[in-house]
Amino acid sequence: METERLIEVLGAHAEPVRPLAPVSRRLLAWFVPAALAVAVVVAVVGARPDLIAKFAQPDFAIPQGAALATAILAAFAALSAGLPDGRRWVLWLPLVPLTVWLGNLGHQCWWDWMRSGFTSLPFGPDYACIPGIALVGLVPAALMVAMLRRGAPFHRRATIMSGILAATALADFGLRLFHPVDAAAMVLVWQIGSVAVFTLLAGLLRFPRRGRF
Amino acid sequence: MAFRSGDGAATGTGEDEWARLMAAAQGGDGASYVRLLTGITPLLRRAAWRRWPSAGADVIEDVVQDTLLSLHAVRHTYSPSRPFTPWLMGILKHRLADGVRKQARRGAHEVTVANFEETFGDRVANKDEDEHYDREALQRAIAALPDGQRRAVELLKMKELSLKEAAAETGMSIAALKVAMHRALKSLRRLLGEDE
Repeated sequence: METERLIEVLGAHAEPVRPLAPVSRRLLAWFVPAALAVAVVVAVVGARPDLIAKFAQPDFAIPQGAALATAILAAFAALSAGLPDGRRWVLWLPLVPLTVWLGNLGHQCWWDWMRSGFTSLPFGPDYACIPGIALVGLVPAALMVAMLRRGAPFHRRATIMSGILAATALADFGLRLFHPVDAAAMVLVWQIGSVAVFTLLAGLLRFPRRGRF
Repeated sequence: MAFRSGDGAATGTGEDEWARLMAAAQGGDGASYVRLLTGITPLLRRAAWRRWPSAGADVIEDVVQDTLLSLHAVRHTYSPSRPFTPWLMGILKHRLADGVRKQARRGAHEVTVANFEETFGDRVANKDEDEHYDREALQRAIAALPDGQRRAVELLKMKELSLKEAAAETGMSIAALKVAMHRALKSLRRLLGEDE
């Protein structure tokens, strides 16, 4: 088909479309209902009784703050990097709070190890973390996937992984509000490990093209 | 900065004009949409040539058409508050990358052979391929095909997608696409009067 003919055909199919909102508005549109959904789960399960006191402790507040920042920046990266004129470097933004998150927990592990020795590290199986993160993260993940489908994910795999990192980081933030696991090694392996597994799985999934980009 | 359309007529300040036409196209204005696509096509060709100087003219034209099709599919992602050209060039960049990958795949699995004018003695096998060439008749025949067969022809022969890509786009299985293509070719032969 000649290009001029193609242009005529496209012109004949120029149905009105609803333009995407700016990234900042879409970020709010994801974060507010996602955070509300997490709050509902926490309210139903029941927040841990020492929550207020925990937030006064840097060992709890810093990783929680970093988890929340990771969620927000990863969501921003997912929503903006997939646009045709999106900057690819924004996909690296969540690494900053993620590094703080991992660094803080790793630092706590190190001190626990120095203080008590490796075999005395408070560590054991906590399989509840995986379904816990999946449950708390279900609504944020579903919302994120729905929003990404409306966009044009040119960097498809990277934007989906960022989106799922956003959802699972938010889920982990919520999980620690009711799941009283404080040992850094436990959080590092079971909770952040779960976040990593879900994010990597999202990267391995094949997402069918919707139309031709 | 003034940009010119393919016929040499000035189209005003390019960036602002294209942004205005794109916004109108998002609202369903087909005439503005055609003006926009006509205006940006020469820019797309030049930009594609610059980035892929070793490609043939037909390959560049494929990239340009793929870019226009992609623009059509994602036109809702353009925001009038952002510049138009970076948005357009972002689409071209991705379609160029696809074009380069497709060429590399073909090159890895194809070998150039001599063009033998006659391979079999049978008269039917040695028809002049231009004998029945009538582009408009072919286009009418394709338009007359049932939906599934026409879609198979458009994707596999006109857009030259692989079976896997066409299956992903249509949701049809590869086997169903092969059947649709086989039936489409039979129908086209019948419509063009080539059955003997």
